[in-house]
Amino acid sequence: MNRFEKTGLASAAALVLAGASAATAIFGPLLGAATWSFRLGVLVCVAAAAATSAAVLWRRMRSGRVALERHLDALCRLDPSDLRNETVAGELPPLPPGSPWLPLARRVQETLLRQYERVQDLEHSRTALEIRYRRADSQAARVTAILSGLADPIVAIDDLDEVVLANAAAESLLQFEVETAEDRALGGLVRCQRLVDLLTTACHRELAANRTDELELVDDRGQTRWYRIRASKFFVQDAGGAAAPQGAVAILRDIGDQKAMQKRNAEFVSSVSHEMKTPLAGIKAYVELLADGDAEDDETREEFLSVINSQADRLQRLIDNLLNLARIEAGVVNVNKEQRSLNELLEEAVHVVQPAAESKSIELAANLSPLYLGVHADRDMLLQAAINLLSNAVKYTRAGGRVTLRSRLDGEQVVFEVEDTGVGLSPEDCRKVFEKFYRVKKDKDMATGTGLGLPLAKHIVEDVHGGQISVQSALGEGSTFRVALPSAKRMQPPPPESRKGPDRVQTCSALR
Amino acid sequence: MCKRVLLCDDEIHILRAAEFKLKRAGYDTRIAGDGQEGWEVIQEWLPDILITDCQMPRLDGLGLVQRIRGNPATQQLPVLMLTAKGFELSFDELSARWNVLALSAKPFSPRGLLETVNRALAAEAVVA
Repeated sequence: MNRFEKTGLASAAALVLAGASAATAIFGPLLGAATWSFRLGVLVCVAAAAATSAAVLWRRMRSGRVALERHLDALCRLDPSDLRNETVAGELPPLPPGSPWLPLARRVQETLLRQYERVQDLEHSRTALEIRYRRADSQAARVTAILSGLADPIVAIDDLDEVVLANAAAESLLQFEVETAEDRALGGLVRCQRLVDLLTTACHRELAANRTDELELVDDRGQTRWYRIRASKFFVQDAGGAAAPQGAVAILRDIGDQKAMQKRNAEFVSSVSHEMKTPLAGIKAYVELLADGDAEDDETREEFLSVINSQADRLQRLIDNLLNLARIEAGVVNVNKEQRSLNELLEEAVHVVQPAAESKSIELAANLSPLYLGVHADRDMLLQAAINLLSNAVKYTRAGGRVTLRSRLDGEQVVFEVEDTGVGLSPEDCRKVFEKFYRVKKDKDMATGTGLGLPLAKHIVEDVHGGQISVQSALGEGSTFRVALPSAKRMQPPPPESRKGPDRVQTCSALR
Repeated sequence: MCKRVLLCDDEIHILRAAEFKLKRAGYDTRIAGDGQEGWEVIQEWLPDILITDCQMPRLDGLGLVQRIRGNPATQQLPVLMLTAKGFELSFDELSARWNVLALSAKPFSPRGLLETVNRALAAEAVVA
């Protein structure tokens, strides 16, 4: 029995005593004439009525307390979110109508709901923050990964000229480590004064324009390479959203290949002009001799004219080579492929190169296959490739040497090889010899050339005819250039009924 | 005795044109196909003047001139150079350092070459 019940019980007892006292007080004088037994009966009845009322009152109080307990207990078990649902809220154990606990229970419900909603709001804010944090974290990780994966070195400084960021490429090129550096001042970490000046000027200048420079830097392997450096101010937004300058960032781009290309282009222009001027010099000299009347007899005049003619042809061949290469590279070449005999083509090439070989006392031998070797080829182009390979072999073979041309059937391919006893190529030269304008340094003085013959041959063999060209060589031991082309069987005239439709297509594709 | 002119070039038709013009003018000429061959002829034949191309196999024009200037017997040999190169060579340097009398660009005029040879040899005669 709790305090509440005790109070209820005490109130009931007080009520009984009060009822009895009141009955005695009221009815006492009236019952003065009655017998004692009657008086006692009335008193008992009144007392019983008072006791019954007290008992009813106590029971009602007790059941109200139990209902409140159940109500609160159910409320505690309820998911607070269900409080917003009227059906669920209505299913709570009810308090008796008119119960004095009703306002309290309602306040408790409202408080619970309010607290629940506050918790919900906090939970949403926390989730949003967590998502933003995760995003920022992964964004930062991604930016770091991108920067460190970037091949271009990047260095950033703050407005105190201290390095605040350098990716792995920059650390490796400029040979410092930001994390372990005691003093992060740019001037102390980077030895290249021009780079330091460029960054600090970009950082402290009023204008935000980019500053660029090109300079040579020595990397960690001791190799010198050209870099184009672009330095620009960077800004960071402050809390008010205004962009405030924070420092400068420099991106270093390796332009070694570009510089090498520029150099090769310049060398190419120089060697093309040299190659053009040489036959032109012949033409002009003999024209002048003729004009001056130096050739007194017909024989001399004819000889001079023949030289002029052959030098004009040479000039034309050079221009053809140049144009063909340019056209093939630009993809605007007309290819006229037909079924041809490789051996016939090779014999023609030997015929063209033979005079040059003879003038250098080089033996040019053709060991061609006795079989018919069919190729689906553009005659002029393939002939030019073969001439380029043969004349190269003659150029880079010393007097008294030997150049051998072979052809054979090799499975599904027809192959021809040009082998010489010339100066040979280093492994590096073997890799680069098919690059446009590339000329083997040590052989430059041995013969004139444009560095176009082999790239053109490669284009013709590989891009136009779907074959392969390769070289095997060792310094001082000669070189062998090998060309493999898809074999084309001798074309049979197709029967008249199969001239149209899929069969014809199949025949053509088999020959390709 | 006719003056001796040595022509050195790896382009046979250039040699033939120059040789033809000089011979008609009464010079005694010999030709060499590259610098190495030219050096051998110089030692054996001792020409009065050398006309050489720059770009040649085995030994180029500048290499040949360096050899000539490095040898007491040939140190004073007058040298004219021909070149098809445009901008790589500086006549001032060739003249100051290697005492090259003239640098003619290809295409060249046989008539002009003859005049240059005449002038060079006449100046030599005055100095002598």
